[in-house]
Formats: sequence, structure tokens, C-alpha cells
Amino acid sequence: MTDPYRSFVRARPRHYLYALNPLAKLVAVLPAMAALLFTRDILTPLLFLMLALAVIVTGARIGRRTALLLGAALPVLIVVFALGFGAWTDPAAALRSTLLPEGLFGLPPDAVVVQVGDYRYTVAALGVGLATSLRLCSILTLSLIAGLTTAGPDLVRSLVQNLRVPYRFGYTALAAYRFVPRFGRDLEQLRAARRVRGAAARRGPAAWAARTVGMVVPLLAGGIRHAERMSFAMDSRAFGASRHRTERYSVPWRARDTAFVVILLLASLALFVVGQR
Amino acid sequence: MTDASLPAHPAPPTPEPRLVVDGLRIRHDGRDRFSPDGVTFTLRAGEVVLLMGPSGSGKSTLALALNGLVPHAVPAGMHGSVRVEGIDTADASVAALSEHVGMVFQDADAQIVTGSVLDEVCFGPENLSLPVPVILRRAEAALRRVGLWERRDDNPDILSGGGRQRVAIAAALALDSDILVLDEPTANLDAAGADDVYDALAEIASDGRHTIVLIEHDLDRAVRIVDRVIVIDGDGHPVSDGTPREVLVGCADELHELGVWLPPATEAGRWLRRAGILDAGAALPLTGEELTAALDAIPRERASGLLAVPASASASASASASASASARAIPAAPNAALGHPQPAIVLENVSVTRRRTRIVHDVSLTIGRGEFWAIVGVNGAGKSSLVQTIVGITAPSSGRVRVHGFDPARTDARRLSEHVGFVFQNPEHQFVAHTVFDELAYGLRARRVDEATIERQVTGMLERFGLADAAPVHPFLLSGGQKRRLSVGTALIAGASTLVLDEPTFGQDRERSDELLDLLQTLNRDGTTVVVVTHDLQLAVDHADHLAVMAGGRLVEAGPLDGVLGDEAVLERNGLRMPPLVRAFQAVTTHPEWRRVRRLGQIGDDRAAGDRRADP
Repeated sequence: MTDPYRSFVRARPRHYLYALNPLAKLVAVLPAMAALLFTRDILTPLLFLMLALAVIVTGARIGRRTALLLGAALPVLIVVFALGFGAWTDPAAALRSTLLPEGLFGLPPDAVVVQVGDYRYTVAALGVGLATSLRLCSILTLSLIAGLTTAGPDLVRSLVQNLRVPYRFGYTALAAYRFVPRFGRDLEQLRAARRVRGAAARRGPAAWAARTVGMVVPLLAGGIRHAERMSFAMDSRAFGASRHRTERYSVPWRARDTAFVVILLLASLALFVVGQR
Repeated sequence: MTDASLPAHPAPPTPEPRLVVDGLRIRHDGRDRFSPDGVTFTLRAGEVVLLMGPSGSGKSTLALALNGLVPHAVPAGMHGSVRVEGIDTADASVAALSEHVGMVFQDADAQIVTGSVLDEVCFGPENLSLPVPVILRRAEAALRRVGLWERRDDNPDILSGGGRQRVAIAAALALDSDILVLDEPTANLDAAGADDVYDALAEIASDGRHTIVLIEHDLDRAVRIVDRVIVIDGDGHPVSDGTPREVLVGCADELHELGVWLPPATEAGRWLRRAGILDAGAALPLTGEELTAALDAIPRERASGLLAVPASASASASASASASASARAIPAAPNAALGHPQPAIVLENVSVTRRRTRIVHDVSLTIGRGEFWAIVGVNGAGKSSLVQTIVGITAPSSGRVRVHGFDPARTDARRLSEHVGFVFQNPEHQFVAHTVFDELAYGLRARRVDEATIERQVTGMLERFGLADAAPVHPFLLSGGQKRRLSVGTALIAGASTLVLDEPTFGQDRERSDELLDLLQTLNRDGTTVVVVTHDLQLAVDHADHLAVMAGGRLVEAGPLDGVLGDEAVLERNGLRMPPLVRAFQAVTTHPEWRRVRRLGQIGDDRAAGDRRADP
């Protein structure tokens, strides 16, 4: 569980991402993320994956967890997704695609990698899988630029201050975030309680579905009660008293934010031109 | 002010009333009766008021009406009026009233919005659109008053329960309101946390500026800071209003009849008076110190022959400082389970590790059949993790656990439930069926018991737990006390003779807690082995015969109640506080034999118990 309130006071000046406006980090990558949704090739998402990694490595403090995430979890995810989506795709349609016209590792597109009965996993199918996988993972990595370097409250503040989002929404969302760990604890207790009752004894998808549905009611009941108490507490402290509230921290939009956005948008454009040729 | 109802002549010399509650009646939507019903009082600057009443009296609802949450946020009909510093709450928003009334609720976790102590305290003033320097000045003043200024940069999550509740108090103070309303602020806290909160409250009460309205179950702590008590009865009608001594001592018997809790010392005084130890005309004590003084003043000749009996033998008298009229003195039946050769639970060098952190260290404990154990310790001492190994929810990382000879980690849940039942903190988590009847039948149907037997056993269980009328009701629609009883019933239906309960009284009012513990004591007398985890030493002392103290994941001390209670230093060091009654008796000088009294049932057993039976 990541703490949405963590602060980054220990970041060194070299790690410029922390000093940027959270909105700048989002605005800079959103067009690329949207455009990536419409790509079908392998090269373009691969280029954007590299770009995102380069930005994170130069601009963020890479701790043990981040290193594991980017160096181990991400490659594994790409491979697993590639194999999975490859198996899922229609082999005939994959062959018609021109993703790997030259084949892979000297194998032609219609070369069979694995055969189970009538089912053939071809090189072309793997190509489709890889393209899909890279598309998802590049979008994910682009979102990490902001995700790894932004504190929840700062994002809310910049939304309220720069985008004029009503603070009632922003702060309610933030308060709701505090609810996540509590929800996790509730779920853990609930599972244990069910196990003790012998409710986990039956196997199979039907029993699993019944169990899951059965847990929704108590979770919701607890959640609604908590939310009600929370809203009483916030009301009692003048939340929503007027249209504006004082912000002790200002999250200004500076020249460096504009620069970051412009540079990243230009880089995105260039990569698209190269990728789509 | 242009209100026509106000008198035209100049203001009286007494200070302007802060809070005027006039003929207040509130009915929640969907309920058929009003509670509170016709409550009237006026509060002035500097008054510290304790609001009391049995459950159902509507005292929490009344608290919500003081800052306008009723009627603005709670769906309820309100008659009569509440005026806060001249403003009618019906005409003002909750946000506007927040500058006049600060609220602190029971659950600290449900009050914290932001990610640091300082941000939290600034949240209210920020909402009021105050300038930043003013906000910071107020926040610093508020945090210094509750002793948290040094921790302003911390995430509230890493504070103790008492610390989080003090943040909530500081957040209310920072609104600069003259009235502070606290609804059960210490109900979720261990003794050390409650001390923290009361130190802060006493400091705030001492300035003579704030008007404080307090709802509190811990009367021993509360009576030390309040100067006025207002009592509402179970129907929501006002009963009495006066100084703590006038109300709690002067009307002690009447309040007891109404099911209102009395301070432990006052309740002890009533007991001693009925037992003929204290003069009928003598004033009842209000605090522990007064109780000690009253005991010391008893002449030796009257005290002689009233030797204290051991706590374990008197457990059946269920003395407790309880005012619950349901506390019956049932003669102790010989406990058939005692003396069974095989212990109920054996823990040998049990350690539990979670996420690479060791949370239970090398605990060894043997619990005999028919015993009643309380495992006590501050929040986070490892109590819950330890007992979870008993039912196989958590597997120990090392050591050995045996329940009736079985290894819970390797025994099928159904099989295990024939021997041991487990009751969770929140009863709702355990419910799996759509009616109370099916809930009880669930465990039996899982073992393919025939329907006729199920019918018979479930009906028996429903009657035993007073749920016969509720058989077709959805478990979630039961009252809090009924849910709790049902969860105990489901744990026992498969024939378990050992019952383990994890913080079953957490977040409940004292009345319900005592009702549950009385039920457990009845089960225990019939032979059920009971292990209850609690942070409330008072409850443990009132009901258990064995005590285990945990701190920092280790078992600090374990054994019969008397022995463990003898070492106050150990309790204090581990964040526990000696219950007020025990403390008062320990301080007695003229009757050394009374220093070991743990419960009222131990004193003047025959006469008092007889008297208690005659008590309606």
C-alpha cells in the first residue's frame, strides 16, 4: 500500500520531477498515452517506454522498490502479457497482420512456436501479443512519471488551484483515500471470519462467486457507516462553508512546468514520426 | 438580536448563556419514538457537563443536535430548539455553527482527513477561509495545548490511539469555538490513551472559557473534571440536573433503577450500604479516594467477620461496578469441566511473524478446561495475533498450538468448530446467511445434520440467547447487542466447549460490554472455557478468573487474577491502569484484609448477595 500522503522532502535538486507541478507531469504525458491507444505496432510503444524510463531515471530518486518495479516487475509483466495476449489473439488474424513481416529470430511469421492439438501458437500471434503488451506497459510507465513523484495532496491542490476543480470533490476524494487501508483490514478480517465459519470449504467458481457476493454486504455496510461518520466529522469542521478555502501550500505553475510540457510533447511527436514512419 | 421571544429588558447580570436547549425532541426517520424527548437546559461559559443516560436515551443524538448535524445532516425530525450563542441551529448551517461548537467523536480514524498532524488541525480554519498566519497561530496554540506540537509533521496514522484522539481535540480547538462536545472520546482507547485524553481535557477545562459537553462511559475519570451532570432516562426524558454530587450521590438509587451507570466508587458505596457495612445515612463516595476514606472510617468491630473471599470463588456474584439491573446473583453451579485432565488450550513457545516482523514472541500458556481467561494489553500488544493461532487463522511461525489436542493449523475448519468457537471484533464480519435462524443453522447444515435436529438445536440456541423473536430477521438488522449474542451463538452451535473472543467490546458502550461479559460468565459457569481479548482491564477484573498480560508481543505475566493484580508495577509499565475499585481497596489502611478485594462480590458476600437477589 503506497501512502498517498508521503512527502518527498528528501529528494535532491537533481531529481527535478518532484519540483514540477503535478498537473505538468500529467499534461505532458496524457497526449502520448491517448495516442498510444491507437497504435498497433511494436516500435512506437517501445520508443515511448524508453522515453518514460529515461525521464524517471533522470528525474526521480530510484530507491530499492522503484528499482525492483522498473528493473524486474516491468520486464516480467511485458513478457507475461506478450505471451498471454498472443495466446488470446485469433491465429488467422495474426497471420494477416503485418506486425512482424520479417518474422522473429529468423523464423517466418507462420512458424509454429507451440502446438497443442489443433491449436498453433505462431510467431505472428506472439507479435500481436508483444504489440499489445508494450502498448499497455508504455502507458503504465508514462503514468509512473507522475505516479512515482507526486504526493496525493499536491495533486489535489494543483487540481483545485490550477484547474479550478471544486475543492469539495478534491478533498472528499483525498479523505476517501484514507479509507483504502481500512477497507483492506476489513476485508482481511472478513476472510478470516468466513474461514473460521467453514465458509471457505467448498471449491469451484460457483462457490467462489457466492462467497464474494456474500462479502459485499458486510463490506458496504461497514463502509457506509464509516463514510457517514467521516462526513459528520468534516461537516463539523466547516467543510464546504464557502466557495473557497485557504490553501496554505500554493502549487504554482512555473516556467519550468511549461518547459517540461513543451519538451515532452515535442519528444512525443518526434517518437511518433519515427515509430509510424 | 430581534427574536420576539427574548425579553425586552436589559440582559441579566449572569453571563450570557452559551447554549440553550429548549424542549428538544428528536425522532430519527423510521423510528416511532422520540429520544431525546423534551430535554431543556442552559449552559454558560466555563461549565463542564457530563451527559448521561442508558442506551436508547438519545444522548448521542442530542450531541449531534448541538452543532446542527441534527437536523441538517441526519435524517430526523426535530422539535423544540437549540440556540448556540444566540443562533438558532435550525437557521444556520453546520459549517457556520462550527465556529461556535467543536465536535470530537468516538472513532478517531473516522475524523482524520489529511496526512499530517499540522494539516489536520489546519483543516477547519482553512475551510473558514482564514488568512494563513491566523491559521498557523491557531494550529500551534491548539497543538501545544494537547501536547502534540513536536509531532506536527507526523502522519496521524503513526500516533497511538490516544494521540489520534488528541489530534481530533486540537482540530476542534483550532476552530476557536467556545463550546466543545465530545461523544465517548475514550471508548476505543486503552488506559494509557484515555489518560492522555483526560490530561488534555483537564487542561482545556481549567481555563474557564470553554463550555464542555461530555458523553463518557468511564465515570471514574469523567467525574474528576465535570462540574455538572445531566441525566436522561431510557425514554429520552430528562431526569436530573445538578452537580456530580447532587446527581450521582444524591440520586444514586433512582439512577440505578433507571439503568444509568454510576461511578465505580458510588456503586461500591451502595453495595456496602446494603450489606450493612456502611451506615444507611452515610454519604456515598464519588471518587476512589472517597471510597477508601469511607472504608477506613468503618469501625473494626463492624468489619470483622466480613472477610473477603477469593476472587475466583466470588465470580458468580458478578459483582462488578455494574448498574445493570440484569446482573443476577445465581448460585455457583459446580463446574463440571474443571479438573478435566486435558487442558483446553496449550501454547508452547508460540511466535508469529507477519511481513517479516515478529509480532508475537515465544509465548507459552496453558489454559485449563472451564477457566475464564482475559488477555489484556494496550492496542498493538499482539493479543489478537496470539489468539488467532488458536483457531488456525494465523499459523505460528514457530512453536506448538494444541486445542483439545488438535493442531488448529492442520485441522479442518468444520472439525475444529466442534471444539473451539471464535468471535470476531465486528460480529457483522461473521454473518453468512440471510436470517438469524439460517445463520445458526449454517454450521449444522455444513455437517449434514438432519433438519429435525437442526430445528431443535437452533430453536434451543435462539431461546438461550434471547433471539427467539428475531429468528426470521436479517442478521444485519439486529441491534448491536443482539448481533453480538448471535455471533456467540454461531460460534457455539457446533458444540464447541471453548470460546475465544477477540476484543468483543471494542467500540461498544459499557452497558453492552457488561451484558456480553455477563453472558460469557453464564456460559463459563455451565462449563465453557472462555478466553477473551480486551484492552479494558476493568472488564477483565470484573469477570475473568485468570489474567494474561501482553506487551510488545510478549507474555509479561499470566496466572490467577489475584496474583497478577498484585503487581501493579507490571501493569503500569505495560500501559494498563489498575481499575478504580481495586485501587481504592488497595489503599485501605485500617482493614488490611480488604486490600485484596477485586470485586464487590468478595465483601460481605452473604448479606449483600441476599440483598441483591431481593433487588428488583
